[in-house]
Amino acid sequence: MPKVILTGSIRQHVGGLGVVEVGGDTAGAVVSALEASYPALRGWIVDERGALRRHVKLYFGQGAVSLDTPIGPNDELHIVAAISGG
Amino acid sequence: MTELLVGTKKGLVVLRGARGGPLEIAARAFPGEAVEFAMRDPRSGRYFASVTHGQFGPHLFYTDDPTGKWQQAEGPAFPPSANAAIERIWVIEPGVDDDVVWCGVAPAALFRSGDGGGGLCLHSICPWPGDPNRLAIGISSAGVWLSDDAGKSWRRSVGGLVPRYIPEEARKDTHAFCVHNMRRAPRQPTTLYMQFHGGVYRSDNAGETWIDIGTDRGLPSDFGFPLAIDPNDPDRAFVVPLAADMDRVTPEGRVRVYETLDRGKSWRALENGLPQSKAYLTVLRQAFCNDGASPLGLYFGATSGEVFGSADGGLTWSTVAAHLPPVASVRCA
Repeated sequence: MPKVILTGSIRQHVGGLGVVEVGGDTAGAVVSALEASYPALRGWIVDERGALRRHVKLYFGQGAVSLDTPIGPNDELHIVAAISGG
Repeated sequence: MTELLVGTKKGLVVLRGARGGPLEIAARAFPGEAVEFAMRDPRSGRYFASVTHGQFGPHLFYTDDPTGKWQQAEGPAFPPSANAAIERIWVIEPGVDDDVVWCGVAPAALFRSGDGGGGLCLHSICPWPGDPNRLAIGISSAGVWLSDDAGKSWRRSVGGLVPRYIPEEARKDTHAFCVHNMRRAPRQPTTLYMQFHGGVYRSDNAGETWIDIGTDRGLPSDFGFPLAIDPNDPDRAFVVPLAADMDRVTPEGRVRVYETLDRGKSWRALENGLPQSKAYLTVLRQAFCNDGASPLGLYFGATSGEVFGSADGGLTWSTVAAHLPPVASVRCA
């Protein structure tokens, strides 16, 4: 199963874990599986339309990817929050 | 004992202390995150906070102890058919039925909870004491909406409101009625007060039509956001005027609350103890509240981090807290 590496500020919603293995063959499916396993994460990474939040990025391989990017079972998907704010 | 819930740009601050005196910080929650609104439901004692995380969006939390751990509520969330996502949760309001809590959000929508806040959620929500079916809501740029069936159907009600910010020739066809704040007098539910975007109004018929109570009656400006009423006196209301829509600070460098005791026929300044020189403060929509006691306790906060309070209906004021992050909301627990 793909590994998901979570940014520190949302680890509180997955019991403090930094790395979680969940199923899914696209980045979006992985995020959905993550929400299913950890319901407190619902609404934090994607909004209720299923759109990635503006200041959240998914990284896989060499760069940022979209939710429909295919992910293999041995891949790592990084969920990263932008450093932004005032 | 007074407990104030102060939502700020950088977290929730719980202030406690003797009524009328300086208040101490009893707790700080959601550090670094914008707390748009926080309140305590007097029926259940449960506390609610709307928190907008800069990266991870708006979420609603609840607790029975604001100095302890907060739980995340499910929702509010738009259904897929709406093709919309909540950007902010502006206000949380107890309903009339025991298990109902209302929540007003942006983009403008009203959410209802049926289980006391485990799952819920516009800026002004005015239930009708004793009648769960009758509601009035206020929406920025969209006016007043009334329902007689608990929100199943709505009708717009803007008769009497004058949108001066729209060119005169275009007013007839406009939908852009910018309500800034609206409150219902609980002991006389047909009476509502409104701070409009340029204009202060009262309705004597449950919001069906509106009467100008802001022009030439003693206010230094009829622009502003905060509005409070005396829950025990339907003739009494308070506003905190700002200079103008293009200059949203306290007029003339003086911080003044204005009170009417005669349903808006006249207004007088309440300024004793408030900064009266070189004080250009901004007081946001939800940052003004009362405690319902007699004499009435009044509290408001500014984006410059001060919270002011009065335990004698506004006759004298003191700074009850200072040096907080920009204050977005103030509610008595």
